Amino acid sequence: MKFIKNHLMFILPLMAILLGIEFYLVFDRTTDSYEKGLKEGYTMLVVAKKPVTLQKLRQLNPHIATLEAIKREQIVSEVAQGVSKQSKKEILAALPYFYNVGLDSYLGTAALEKIKKDLEKDSTIKRVETFGSSYSSAYRLFAFIKFLLKVFIGFMGVVSLFLIIKQMEIWKYAHRERMQVMEIFGAPLMLRAGVLFKVAIFDAFIATLLTSAVFLYVKFVWAAQSGIDLMMQKQDDLFKMTDMAILLGVALLLVIVAVYTVVFSNKGVQE
Amino acid sequence: MSNVISAKNLTLAYDNGRKEIIKNASFNIKKGDFVFITGPSGSGKSTLLKSLYGQLKPKEGNLVVGGRDLANISPRQLQELRTHMGIIFQDYKLINEWTVAKNVVLPLMIAGYSLDVQETQAHRLLKHVKLSEHADKYPLELSGGEQQRVGVARALAKNPVVILADEPTGNLDDYSSNVIWDLMENACQQLETTVLVVTHKIPTIFSLPYRHFIIESKGVYEVH
Repeated sequence: MKFIKNHLMFILPLMAILLGIEFYLVFDRTTDSYEKGLKEGYTMLVVAKKPVTLQKLRQLNPHIATLEAIKREQIVSEVAQGVSKQSKKEILAALPYFYNVGLDSYLGTAALEKIKKDLEKDSTIKRVETFGSSYSSAYRLFAFIKFLLKVFIGFMGVVSLFLIIKQMEIWKYAHRERMQVMEIFGAPLMLRAGVLFKVAIFDAFIATLLTSAVFLYVKFVWAAQSGIDLMMQKQDDLFKMTDMAILLGVALLLVIVAVYTVVFSNKGVQE
Repeated sequence: MSNVISAKNLTLAYDNGRKEIIKNASFNIKKGDFVFITGPSGSGKSTLLKSLYGQLKPKEGNLVVGGRDLANISPRQLQELRTHMGIIFQDYKLINEWTVAKNVVLPLMIAGYSLDVQETQAHRLLKHVKLSEHADKYPLELSGGEQQRVGVARALAKNPVVILADEPTGNLDDYSSNVIWDLMENACQQLETTVLVVTHKIPTIFSLPYRHFIIESKGVYEVH
């Protein structure tokens, strides 16, 4: 019972850190296209009196990356239904030119306003609509959620690290005498800490396997039954074999640091 | 004969050098010497012993053990030096979660001997200290005298150049004490091991010629 308790006291905080890392990896992967869409799918609308070229707009503001003309005929056919052909021709002649303008990177509302002003300086540009507020709020909301997630995972990591250090203290007392005796007789570090390394590496493997099992369950059982579109569409992204390697690497790194901490704080004979 | 231990103007201190325990001590100990170090409680007997196995660095002066200057020794060199020492403590310092046999072969384990050699040596050493039947027991299942015999067997395991013993019979009755003295006399006589024993009292029944150092008023003096 004591043996299981000792291991669990180390495995559980380690698992909490690994779960946090894996949760972030999964979140990052599954929302990657959404974030990309928010960033790259954004376009502003430019209304011009005469046809304009991408080169010309770039001269006005270097952030402009793409230019796509909206078919005027299509606009006329949508807004002038039931109107005679002649009238349609007149409307088409009077209709300005509409363009979707894409940017080279995600910009804040102030930068969007600057682009608007730069473009409107040109006499051929009649109007620029940035849709700044809706674009910004959607992206900011997403960025905020991501930030909160990072904070939560970071907090969880710190708390778990404290629990691991606490458990290390227990290990330190449990193994102190043995390690000191071995040190007096000239045992090298790896031999002195051999048992600790074995226990810690074993626990790292167990924590990695348990964490992987949780996400494999989510991937193959829960996601399919969840009814959440994002989960069902991105099922493959919910857990990858490379994640297991990342988790094991992190777990091993943490336990090795933990064991070295114990070993180096165990110097000297207690008289 | 060559010096196994050599101290020149040795000063030992605690509290970052503020509290001096031994001051300007000079002495030489040769291979095969059996040395008793006596002195009043708190005089610095155990401190001197600690410095000999590198647990306390000299504040001033030279202390050379097995050809290594302990004032300027690297951790790796100290580790290597300790593998040539057998150390016996008053409180035995056995590893309680290990069997008696495993405790005895600790120095061999550290030296990287195979399990077969360790097993053979454990058998031989435990026979030597008359504890063969206790090989698979744990230290806490043994009496104090028996535990100290395990400690002596461990100290002898790798035929050390020097045995350092800190009050080895301090917690033992007369019978157990005599057994321990016999074992140490044999080691010194048969293996030519240098033995340094810190003790309150030199045993009355002791057949070997020995040297006697007294620690008094921070000085180390040889009694002739």
